[in-house]
Amino acid sequence: MEEFLLRLQESDFGLWVTSAPTIFGPDVYATILMLHTVGLAMIVGPAWVLDVRLLGYGARLPVETLRGAFRIMWIGFFINASTGIALFISEADDKGMRWVFWVKLLSIALALVVTSRLRRAVFGGGVAADVAPPRARSLAKASLLLWMVAITAGRLMAYVK
Amino acid sequence: MLLPFASWLHNTPISVALQAQVAWLWPFCETLHFAGLALLLGVAGMFDLRLMGFMKRVPISVVKEFMPWALVGFTLNLLTGVIFVVSQPAQYFGNPTWWLKVTFLIIAGVNAFIFETAYGRRAAALPAGEDTPTALKIIAAVSLISWAGVLWAGRMLPFLGAGVGAGL
Repeated sequence: MEEFLLRLQESDFGLWVTSAPTIFGPDVYATILMLHTVGLAMIVGPAWVLDVRLLGYGARLPVETLRGAFRIMWIGFFINASTGIALFISEADDKGMRWVFWVKLLSIALALVVTSRLRRAVFGGGVAADVAPPRARSLAKASLLLWMVAITAGRLMAYVK
Repeated sequence: MLLPFASWLHNTPISVALQAQVAWLWPFCETLHFAGLALLLGVAGMFDLRLMGFMKRVPISVVKEFMPWALVGFTLNLLTGVIFVVSQPAQYFGNPTWWLKVTFLIIAGVNAFIFETAYGRRAAALPAGEDTPTALKIIAAVSLISWAGVLWAGRMLPFLGAGVGAGL
């Protein structure tokens, strides 16, 4: 496993990420980190807006109008999956051996399952109801929590060895 | 002027106290800073998109009901940001990228102030379904761009210009 991670890290692509300059920052790595944060805001921002709405906040806003949130979240997810893979390759041997990285991946996987179930529960049957059913409320709470865990684990990757 | 201020701040009891807790306080505050960022940009971004003419069916005043959450995110980030600066003042004052971040923050703040004072009532009175006036679209675009600038400069802090003020 470690040998494979090391080969990834020292591949031409891995070295390019950590050394090539770009117009947004000193190197591809910093630029990708920045884009990873943009993607984070595009995923977690709309997700949390939807979650707090389903939990009853801002009840005058028709839930149906938040259907478009998923498009922004998908774009954010595409950005973060691709930047995440690039970041991982460039530091595969380092990050791949840390438990906190796997906590991050697990929490994202769970958050995605919760989000897709939430979408089906709320938007699956025609126009979304303005009072969320109990199941959707539980999913909203899980979504709030899981994205927070993902952010926390992601940040801790810079600290936990 | 900055150098004496930075070293004075660095030696204040509050800064010294924060420095002593840096091992857990820094990652803790950084995590909150990222969560706050998502909350702020998620909610303010939605409001900006509405001002730009998306989700026209929803009255602006209804979308605005979510703004307290953006304020929660902003307060979280202001608080954690102050903790960063107070515990390591030279690291920030000496970095031109940090001043760029502050500049973007000021632009975002002034822009929001202009919206509130000059257009807030008119925006709230705009009937649902009607296109937003150009002025509101410009304000929304300035808001999105300046928050993107805050994020860009913030994330670049360790990479761009960090060495410039190393002697400060």
